[in-house]
Amino acid sequence: MNIDRNDNKGDIRRGITQTAQVLLLLMALLAVHIVYLQIFAADELATHPLNRRHGQIVAGVMRGSIFAADGAVLAYSDDTGRHRPLNESAAFVTGYASEKLGSTGIENFANYALSGENSIAEKFGPVGKLFRSPQGADVWLTVDSRLQRAAHTALSGKRGAAVVLDAATGAVLVMVSEPAFDPNTVDLDWDSLNADENRPLLNRVTMGMYPPGSTIKPVIADAALAEGITSDNEVFICEGKLDVGGGYYISESHEAVHGRVKLADAVAESCNVAFGTLAERLGEKRLRSVFERFGFDQTGADELNWNAAHLPPTASPLDDGDVAQLGIGQSYLLTSPMTMALTAAAFFNGGEVMRPYIIDRITDANGDDVLKTKPQVYFTATTVERAEKIKNYLQGVVDRGTGRGAQLRGATIAGKTGTAENPNGEDHAWFIGGATVGKKRVAFAVIVENGGSGAEAAVPVARDIVAAMRDNG
Amino acid sequence: MRIKRRSRIAKNEPAAAQSTNVLLAAAFFILVCGMGTLVVNSATPETADYILTWLPWLVALCLAASFVQFVLVHVKSRPNLLLFPLAMTAVAVGLVMIARLNPPLVLPQIRWLLIGMAVLLVALRLNRRLGRLPGNYQYVWGLLCLVVLLTAIIFGTEIGGSRNWLVIGSFRVQPSEFAKLLLVLFLASFLADHRSLLTENKRRRVPPLRFIAPLIVVWSMAVLMFVIQRDLGAALLFFSLAVTMTYMATQNKAYLLAAFAFFLPAAGVSYLLFSHVARRFDIWLDPWQDPTGAAYQIVQSLFAFGAGGVWGRGLGDGAPLLIPEVHTDFIYAAIAEELGLIGGLVIIALYAVLFFEGIKIALAADNDGKMLLAAGLSAMFFFQSFFIIAGVSKFLPLTGITLPFISYGGSSMVASFATLGVLLSLSRGK
Repeated sequence: MNIDRNDNKGDIRRGITQTAQVLLLLMALLAVHIVYLQIFAADELATHPLNRRHGQIVAGVMRGSIFAADGAVLAYSDDTGRHRPLNESAAFVTGYASEKLGSTGIENFANYALSGENSIAEKFGPVGKLFRSPQGADVWLTVDSRLQRAAHTALSGKRGAAVVLDAATGAVLVMVSEPAFDPNTVDLDWDSLNADENRPLLNRVTMGMYPPGSTIKPVIADAALAEGITSDNEVFICEGKLDVGGGYYISESHEAVHGRVKLADAVAESCNVAFGTLAERLGEKRLRSVFERFGFDQTGADELNWNAAHLPPTASPLDDGDVAQLGIGQSYLLTSPMTMALTAAAFFNGGEVMRPYIIDRITDANGDDVLKTKPQVYFTATTVERAEKIKNYLQGVVDRGTGRGAQLRGATIAGKTGTAENPNGEDHAWFIGGATVGKKRVAFAVIVENGGSGAEAAVPVARDIVAAMRDNG
Repeated sequence: MRIKRRSRIAKNEPAAAQSTNVLLAAAFFILVCGMGTLVVNSATPETADYILTWLPWLVALCLAASFVQFVLVHVKSRPNLLLFPLAMTAVAVGLVMIARLNPPLVLPQIRWLLIGMAVLLVALRLNRRLGRLPGNYQYVWGLLCLVVLLTAIIFGTEIGGSRNWLVIGSFRVQPSEFAKLLLVLFLASFLADHRSLLTENKRRRVPPLRFIAPLIVVWSMAVLMFVIQRDLGAALLFFSLAVTMTYMATQNKAYLLAAFAFFLPAAGVSYLLFSHVARRFDIWLDPWQDPTGAAYQIVQSLFAFGAGGVWGRGLGDGAPLLIPEVHTDFIYAAIAEELGLIGGLVIIALYAVLFFEGIKIALAADNDGKMLLAAGLSAMFFFQSFFIIAGVSKFLPLTGITLPFISYGGSSMVASFATLGVLLSLSRGK
């Protein structure tokens, strides 16, 4: 330190100046911290679940309504509280909004809009008050209340799920999971719902994970055609079982023997020997890549949060038996009904899968749109040609194969049945596919847990839903 | 008080006086607009009527402030004209916030403000006596400071978690608010007097014990307050003042090192021994461990910052009352929520300018004692505002301390005006 001892006064001045500079720098750092808090961390803090401010603002607002595509009211508020007239039929669509339990479904996802908050009011502080309305926004969904009810009836008393998408747009027309809960009384029923071993609080469409069984076969067929390892004309010899090595066999259900089958017949008759063979020819790597191509690794976002499929572990190569099992949708593979509906949608929309959505638009108190969903391509699963070819195979399933029970006057249904072995007892019954009713092309996936064969348990559910579509124009 | 003739002032620096008059008018404007907003926004006509009953008091406050400004402009050897209007701007924001957060405290606060301004005018006349710093009275200040603190330590009553209150009948006072002023007076006179001794022994690492003994006493008092009274805020303030003022006087970094060599082990030991210290620190490290229990207050405060965003929710439209004790220590969080980042940064800038002006006074003073005194008092305002704003925004662990001129509190307000008065008198020329 170079101190001029003769000038003590100057010396102190230097000390004061230095200290003041350091202290002002500290104050500047504090200001930066507060800028961070109020700009960058602000949203997270303002919407933190423990922050009670939102509830206080909402208390003075009449919560908006939720409407179905057909105009039916799915949820509305009046002086006596919140009502959801469809009760259990739309439980997993509307969800619930409870002070005690929090909220789920659209009540949760669109909470901000429903409770009258909007981005303008949020961003402009005191001025934003002018934009705040005592009436929350209304949310218009893509689901059809009549189809919801039909699906609910068709599945009642069972454990299962049904989801129907508009193949051309991705709009969700039906999302039903059974057993369900009544969103109007969920506060009171909570303990018994939670204790119920049938798990009525679980949305099986998005969160249920099942082996896809034979519903995977259209995907395997697509991969085999794409890789050129088979053709329409190849003849598979089915003697009832396939040796997959190590003393293990894949056998046909009901001890069937299909004899000489081409690919179209193999799909129609759900021939395990043919698809076990194709899977072995494809091998693990190409199987993984086709699963990816069909969006099995995709997880839902926003208002539709479905699980990605569980794919086989990558730690070590699969043995031949597991590879063959993948070809018939067993072994490690687990998928949600939503993933299977998207798979089906690929074949009914020329290979392109549209991003699924359930909120069509949100309208403010004046009826003006504050949000409108535009359909968009989610991913391309296959080519137009292969999609058309496999769609025809699926038509064969209903015309002459395992899905004959789906034949319906006034509508065209095509699809693939599945009977999935699982560790929880009786086989799960699947039916995935598509239907044309008038101008509308839809894709669907239906599962009935432990329902036995797909043809017996799942096909009638899909047929009832499509029949409701036909009857309601 | 000898008052100059207006014509002579007008010849000197009319522009400066005028611009500070404008700042004072701005403070009144904030007060009128704020109170007006609260009347318009009030939920019931009764609330509006209640606010309107303050009108005579608010008028009295504005008149008193105008009088103080008039005196400052016209008094001989003119003092700094920026400090008082700055403080009044903070006062206006504080009073509006208290009216919004806890209306029954507005009248008591106005009364304290009036007393504070009277004290300021008295302190303004000290300039001649302060001129005899250093030397005179240094141990008187020191002993007074000790006595005041010890009284609080021995006879202290616990209010709101800290045993730092003296209760005499219905009169409650926080002695540490005044002790800090005495501490700065003592440190300034002591350091100015012993400066040569403290700086010249460069070759010896530690100056003779008798020279640093008073500093050690100050440090021990801070520790006592920390431990016995649980008054972390005052302890930290005392300690910081002692450290910065010693450094200003000596510019010997060894004192800084020594201070931290004292501070860190003391902090470590108190963390291990005293659960309240440990809890404060743990809450600071991770408030989300117990957001509804021990960390409730700070978490609510952070929510307020988030809810405020850039523009704030608007006066009366936020929910700062979710924060316990918001009108005293946490008043900055309420400002951040309702007046937003913009309002909050204005407050920070205000304290920075207040500090800067204080330092300018220090640099212009004509002897060591005055320089150290002015710098110390400015640092006092600085540390108080810094520690509490940093505490409620989780920049530093929370220490209960009032925001000068803004928080509710009689002792704090009177002490702040006394400090301001001394600073102003130091700014007067010869």
